[in-house]
Amino acid sequence: MIRNYFKTAWRNIRGNKFYTGINVIGLALGLVISLFILLWVQDELSFNGFNNQAKNIYKVGIIGGTGPTKQVFSVVIAPVATYAKAELPEVKDAVRIMNIGGNTPFKYKDKVFTEDKVAFTDPSYFTIFGFNLISGDKRNPFPADQSVVISRSVAERYFGDEDPIGKVVILGHDEQMKVTGVIEDAPANSTVRYDLLLPISRFNKIAYVEGNVNYDGKTRLSSMDADWSNFSFETYLHLKDGVNLNQVTKKLQAIHERNKPEDKPVPYVTQSLLLTHLYKIGESGGAIETVKTFSIVAVMILVIACINYVNLSTARAMLRAREVSMRKIIGAGKLQLFIQFVVETALMFAIATIIAIGAMYVLLPLYNDFSGKHLTLSLTNYQIWLCIAATLLFTLMATSIYPAMLLSSFEPLKALKGKIAGSLGNVAFRRVLVVVQFSVSVVLIIGTLIIGNQLNFIRNKNLGYDKENVFSFSMRTDMQKHYEAVKAELLKQPGVLSVTRLGANIIDNQGWTGDNDWEGKPAASNLLFRPIQVDETSMPFFKFPMLEGKTFTGAVADSAHFIVNETAVKAMGLKDPIGKRMRLWKTNGTITGVVKDFHISSMHNKIEPVVFTYNPQACWRVYIKTTGVQAHKAVEAATQQWKQYNGQIPFNYSFLDEAFNNLYQKEQRTSALFNLFSAVAIVLSCLGLLGLATYTAQVKTREIGIRKVLGASVAGVVQLLTKEFMLLVGISLAIAIPIAWYAMNKWLADFAYRITIGWQVFALAGVMALLIAFITVSFQSIKAALANPVKSLRSE
Amino acid sequence: MLSLQHISKYYQTGGNKAYVLNDLSLDIDQGEFVSIMGPSGSGKSTLLNIIGMLDEPTNGYHYFMEQPVHQLKEKQRSALYKQYIGFVFQAYHLIDELTVYENIETPLIYQNIKGAERKALVADMLDRFNIVGKKDLFPAQLSGGQQQLVGIARALIGKPKLLLADEPTGNLNSKQGEEIMELFSKINKEDGVTIIQVTHSEKNAEYGSRIINLLDGRIESTTTL
Repeated sequence: MIRNYFKTAWRNIRGNKFYTGINVIGLALGLVISLFILLWVQDELSFNGFNNQAKNIYKVGIIGGTGPTKQVFSVVIAPVATYAKAELPEVKDAVRIMNIGGNTPFKYKDKVFTEDKVAFTDPSYFTIFGFNLISGDKRNPFPADQSVVISRSVAERYFGDEDPIGKVVILGHDEQMKVTGVIEDAPANSTVRYDLLLPISRFNKIAYVEGNVNYDGKTRLSSMDADWSNFSFETYLHLKDGVNLNQVTKKLQAIHERNKPEDKPVPYVTQSLLLTHLYKIGESGGAIETVKTFSIVAVMILVIACINYVNLSTARAMLRAREVSMRKIIGAGKLQLFIQFVVETALMFAIATIIAIGAMYVLLPLYNDFSGKHLTLSLTNYQIWLCIAATLLFTLMATSIYPAMLLSSFEPLKALKGKIAGSLGNVAFRRVLVVVQFSVSVVLIIGTLIIGNQLNFIRNKNLGYDKENVFSFSMRTDMQKHYEAVKAELLKQPGVLSVTRLGANIIDNQGWTGDNDWEGKPAASNLLFRPIQVDETSMPFFKFPMLEGKTFTGAVADSAHFIVNETAVKAMGLKDPIGKRMRLWKTNGTITGVVKDFHISSMHNKIEPVVFTYNPQACWRVYIKTTGVQAHKAVEAATQQWKQYNGQIPFNYSFLDEAFNNLYQKEQRTSALFNLFSAVAIVLSCLGLLGLATYTAQVKTREIGIRKVLGASVAGVVQLLTKEFMLLVGISLAIAIPIAWYAMNKWLADFAYRITIGWQVFALAGVMALLIAFITVSFQSIKAALANPVKSLRSE
Repeated sequence: MLSLQHISKYYQTGGNKAYVLNDLSLDIDQGEFVSIMGPSGSGKSTLLNIIGMLDEPTNGYHYFMEQPVHQLKEKQRSALYKQYIGFVFQAYHLIDELTVYENIETPLIYQNIKGAERKALVADMLDRFNIVGKKDLFPAQLSGGQQQLVGIARALIGKPKLLLADEPTGNLNSKQGEEIMELFSKINKEDGVTIIQVTHSEKNAEYGSRIINLLDGRIESTTTL
């Protein structure tokens, strides 16, 4: 009996290659995409879950600034961890991580490396995050300030098979660091992942004990734990079970306000380690939005694929009414017929699943490339099977409605005479499904178009300064001291137009200060400024348009002069800013100029108050304008200069255009994925439409034949067949446009600078959808219309 | 074997009743071979379908194998016809996706008969109809006459007491038709299967033991041969 079901199902599947093809390809494609998204979502949700203490680990943030500059700092000051551990009974342990930043040069023997994942940290790093030492002294990972703990992959790169413990590597020019421990590489789904870890005590020594690199170059603090202004430390607290988080943040705030009363009020926030990847600390939004969107898209694509199957199989059930009724007459029970349909669906699914999983194995590297992940496909991943099972169940239920109705309601006799076709109300059911499909597709098309438009808008937006053909690099101390000589040398080179320096990265300025004052500053104000140190060439170099006052000339008095931007003027509440008294850090001076607003970080952020100070010694980044054509020569010259001062340390530079585009990597990735998803959704919907059009043409063969005999033209017949589908797509447009409009406005809201959604996008999406649908449907219609009517009428 | 009493079947069209069958009474005994004749629209097929329980009369009494069919529920009715009645159609209505063998076997599957027994029964039938060589072919590969042979084999495999045939030779040429009619006679005589056939052909009708002529939903005349 069961064998018979499978045999019949297999014959039906094989016997109708067109339908089987459409169904299997559609299901497999839908499964591949949805399962890929599932893997991606699983990965996103799994972040930090490997750490079994994660639920008790919290990241600390501080809310700083008032008014338009209100900010949540996710890197905080060094004393937070020290005081929390010492004074809060709730805190078991605490760790600080100070990211050294990219391109840190290391050397072992004659091998040179640049490392991106380097940080100063507390020894508790290894226990809190579960990165236990696999060699070295667990209880004392940093026996001396010159210790370094490295990851397994770094150990292999540097030392090959040799034992890394005790080896000495050179950091930067000549600092000797001894390897005292090795940890496993952090899992790909860890938000905290460093390859080389240096003791934070060493940072303290350099910056506070020996060094003079305090932010203003004047104050001397005894240690980093006494510095309540240096926001550089990512800080995590390991709390005891069942602690009241509210109490913890209140206590932290009290400690801060006790030690630095002028910061009052300075609220603290915390965030579970499990949430750090997907949510912003203390604010709404974050990567979770993308996860949600993609999950919805995955479900939608599966729904489209299922709808294809439901539509086609129910349509075909009509054509099969004759077979079904014959089986009824020769003794089939309803249950037996029902099982037959279910077995057929299950078999089709099995084929599609096998193809889908095969395709996933082949496409996974490509997808990883595309999504920037390191996903793996494992058949023991039960969620994959859950997803397949859910899809199968949903499809089975939906497909069974129709056969069940067909089997219980129709009289076999009528079906035998072909009277059943088209007489049941289920045409409406299928129409609804097609409308759902196309609505989803249109929403995705519109989404794709709008994301594309916004990215274009960002790329081409005038930043308010000249970034064309400019490349930049960061100087190290030696070169910074000899900047004038470097500049003179560079200007002699072909291709170099001009050279300047800043104390900031103009593309993505990360600096803040709240240590300021001005004439008439309200007591409650804690306005944050983005300071940019310049010399006399900087303002003309970038062509910052001056609205009022003068730019710096390099005169001695300039060190007490400030140039602010429009936003700063507004935020400070100044009517007539020129000549007003202002203090930044320990420098008392006056405002001598106002510059037009320009973009200083990603378009996600509003333009913030900026203050330019004349302080050539504090400028650490060189900007070189080239002719464009001879850019490579300029880069070559800069490389020569770099080598002269930095020897083997690799030279890292970037063109501002590229650096700017890199700010939107996440968006570009989203955009690429959206392109893919909407393409798949459209292909799937069209497959469904193609199948339905074929079915309609079959059912209407007789009608078409009669009409042709009566003199209908080919065009007339095509119109007859396509009219209905075009109407359905039209309805889909009406449904999809408001949904897309709403969803995309939400997406755009994340950008401080964004396009307004115009009707053109909707018109374009509408035309695209209609055109694609028309081409799909007309293929079958034309075929039907050209057929010889004698042939189609003879079968009756 | 079966008895129809005052059977009527009509459709309400506007204010009028369009009668297909009008107060028709008919008794058929076990072992009879009845031919129903009449012009198009006289109600032949409707009568046959009512006998086969594929259709219901508007009113009247219908007894089959001592059972009051008009009082039975749908489920009981279908159980009844599945057990006792076999159908043969003008257009054969074989299942295209199944081979000759499988087409004949299908009714047995639905009756939950075990595989070994099915095999024996089907082999027997193939042998008897002389189509062993065709058993693995699909309907599309057979001539009309051969398809109808398979159709009859399928109708007989469940050992029905009554065989209903709606113009079984309507799509066949005269020679094929003759063969089918010979086969019907043989089944009737040797197996004792009661046969009721609808036909347009005088010649084919004469294979029967009784000819019933219908006109406008009534029995116009009955001829016993």
